[in-house]
Amino acid sequence: MVELNTKEIKTTTYKRPEIERGYANQTLCIDLSRQDISIKPVSEKMKEVFVGGKGFDLWLLWNAVRGKTKWNDPENAICIASGPLGGTPTFPGSGKSIVTTISPTTGSVMDSNVGGYFGPYLKFSGFDALEVVGKGLGDTVILIDGIEQKIQILEIPGLPDDSYSLSAVLTDFFADGKKQDISVVSTGPGARHTLIGCLNFTWYDVKRKRVRYKQAGRGGIGTVFADKGIKAIVARWDSSVTLDTNHPADKEALKAVSKAYSREIRELDPKQNEMARIGTTHLVPIMNDFDLLPTHNFRYGQHPGANNIGREVYQHLFDPGFDGCWKGCAVACAHGVKDFVPMTGPYKGQKVFVDGPEYETIAGCGSNIGVFDPFTILEMNFYCDAYGLDTISVGTSIAFAMECFELGLITKEHTGGMDLSFGNRLSALELLHQMARGEGFGAIVGQGVRRMKEIFEKEYGADPNVMNDIGMESKGLEFSEYMTKESLAQQGGYGLALKGPQHDEAWLIFLDMVHNYMPTFEQKAEALHWFPMFRTWFGLCGLCKLPWNDIVPEDNKETPEPAKVMKHVQWYADYFRAVTGRNVTPDDLIRMSEAVYNFQRIFNLRMGYGRREHDSVPYRAMGPVTVEEYESRQDRYDKQLVEKYGVDITGKETAEKLAILRKFREEQYERLKDAVYERRGWTKDGIPTLKTVKRLGIDFPEVLEVLRANGVES
Amino acid sequence: MIKVGDEQVPWYEGMTIASLLAEREDGHTYAVVRLNGRLISRPKFESTLIPDNAEVILIPMVAGG
Repeated sequence: MVELNTKEIKTTTYKRPEIERGYANQTLCIDLSRQDISIKPVSEKMKEVFVGGKGFDLWLLWNAVRGKTKWNDPENAICIASGPLGGTPTFPGSGKSIVTTISPTTGSVMDSNVGGYFGPYLKFSGFDALEVVGKGLGDTVILIDGIEQKIQILEIPGLPDDSYSLSAVLTDFFADGKKQDISVVSTGPGARHTLIGCLNFTWYDVKRKRVRYKQAGRGGIGTVFADKGIKAIVARWDSSVTLDTNHPADKEALKAVSKAYSREIRELDPKQNEMARIGTTHLVPIMNDFDLLPTHNFRYGQHPGANNIGREVYQHLFDPGFDGCWKGCAVACAHGVKDFVPMTGPYKGQKVFVDGPEYETIAGCGSNIGVFDPFTILEMNFYCDAYGLDTISVGTSIAFAMECFELGLITKEHTGGMDLSFGNRLSALELLHQMARGEGFGAIVGQGVRRMKEIFEKEYGADPNVMNDIGMESKGLEFSEYMTKESLAQQGGYGLALKGPQHDEAWLIFLDMVHNYMPTFEQKAEALHWFPMFRTWFGLCGLCKLPWNDIVPEDNKETPEPAKVMKHVQWYADYFRAVTGRNVTPDDLIRMSEAVYNFQRIFNLRMGYGRREHDSVPYRAMGPVTVEEYESRQDRYDKQLVEKYGVDITGKETAEKLAILRKFREEQYERLKDAVYERRGWTKDGIPTLKTVKRLGIDFPEVLEVLRANGVES
Repeated sequence: MIKVGDEQVPWYEGMTIASLLAEREDGHTYAVVRLNGRLISRPKFESTLIPDNAEVILIPMVAGG
């Protein structure tokens, strides 16, 4: 075991409650400023309205902050929860944690979901959710020890700075000989020096004898963590989790539905996307073929080099094995590369294990910055994780800086002499190392796209109109990695997402553009109601969404609504009933989510956002910004102008056609907002009506007060 | 012969993914197939020839992300 110099700041012992039907029925609050540890009960009303997971997080966060709270105020909370179904070891995808906070990049509510063992271990240790407020001194480690039934706030100076080594050291230190009992949440120096920090959530890979991790990446939650002076949060729980650990209401029913689902995945995944073998890398060639893989800051959706960075290559690089990020998950998509040797940075020349890459990292740190070298992507992936940086925001931010460089909006004078042309992989890696050190131009890129736009305009005199068109952020969050120009539904999926443009709320691009499941406006609006609601439900329960529709029943195509994969939705309803004892139908699952979803929208409103104006997206997300982009797909755009909009394009220059197309597409997006708001029961300004909040049972006085303050009284 | 999932299907010269799917009632529902282990997407269905003795897996892809 490693030797560490620990200083005990506060220790509390507690009696661990039995888990009842998936709930511990209490939450844990740690105030680092006051060095206080407290336990709060969970009421039946809280379970009924907020369900668990993200719902509990949001309720705790709502009560911790005020409308004026900034991300780095002590009262800002980081909330982490599993959910009532979380920790079930046989039902696929049941190990997710959901994290919320007030984000440094959006100024509003951020949520991010992540694998690893922390959420289930937290719950089985006796807490449905954890809330951390206040600020520590910089070396703070929080220990939640469900085996010894004690909570500790510790100071441990001299720990490694990066998450890769830190996770391993703390796992070793707290394991008491059984490393699989430990899960560590930590971040790294990149989170401290930028606004786009992520959190790493670990589990111990017994077969490989090493700590592995997954990331809660979006919206700078790692930055809040670092700002609170937290080095790590460690959960310790007996790893021998069984179906009984959640004390389900109906164990036989749980066993039956878990078995059926696992069997189906084991049988069908090899015939479908092979996620147990190649993760999500299959998406790279598919997205590329459909012109949906972002390249060069979302200018184009296709590149000949894409063949070098997809499934065909990574299937040979991944270390073979069955890689679930929670026990017994049959999807098992958490692959990694062993004995990778970085060519730069503090691990240069050393063999390391890289957790990933997944599709988003490949597209963000690869194609979108013009890099089509699988090893550079691995190195970016490794350092982003070790430094505690979100691969998506890093990729999209560097892509923006590179386009600005190529357009001459910034020059070598601003970049510290670096050539930031697309494809310059050494510059991309150097930016990453600078982010970790908080130095040079990397420190500016690490502020994210929204702040870069401000800095480039104010300090370098760059054209704000061009940057607003090409800067791929909405609400202050960088876009995740799908091209949306030809899918109005996915434009809405990004623009109307509560936290900003992340695909976990509504991934409709394939359903809309490829399968044409939602040709009419009304169908798109309906999809932008149903899909975000159902995806929200996974976050309430501690689940991963991948099993739902990445592996589909063979007869799914013959069902009335193949996009919804209703056989699986029914299984989720059965699963919820088996654990919690609450009888629910698929429609009830949507209603549960609606309550939390609308509450989050009102939370945004309370923080000064959450209106129509905040649901806008840059024009690059809707269509071609430049003549070059238009002409690269001229047949497509010309055809649309003639056939869809009835425009006579005879004799028109590209610039004129570009402007006409833009007008139509921007109008279309605004019409989509109207349709979606109406379907969701919101005003034309995008605010839930009184009738909606009453129907959903979230008409608490404090909610009504926010609505009243924003002019909604009917 | 080629193998399509668990079925044996007669092969012919010039057979493409598009022509194979055109002969199937549910052919329009597939946007991606795996041909001898390689992913082929709809934009390439017309131009992708299927060799004799090939194994084709039809992927009912509705999601991702």
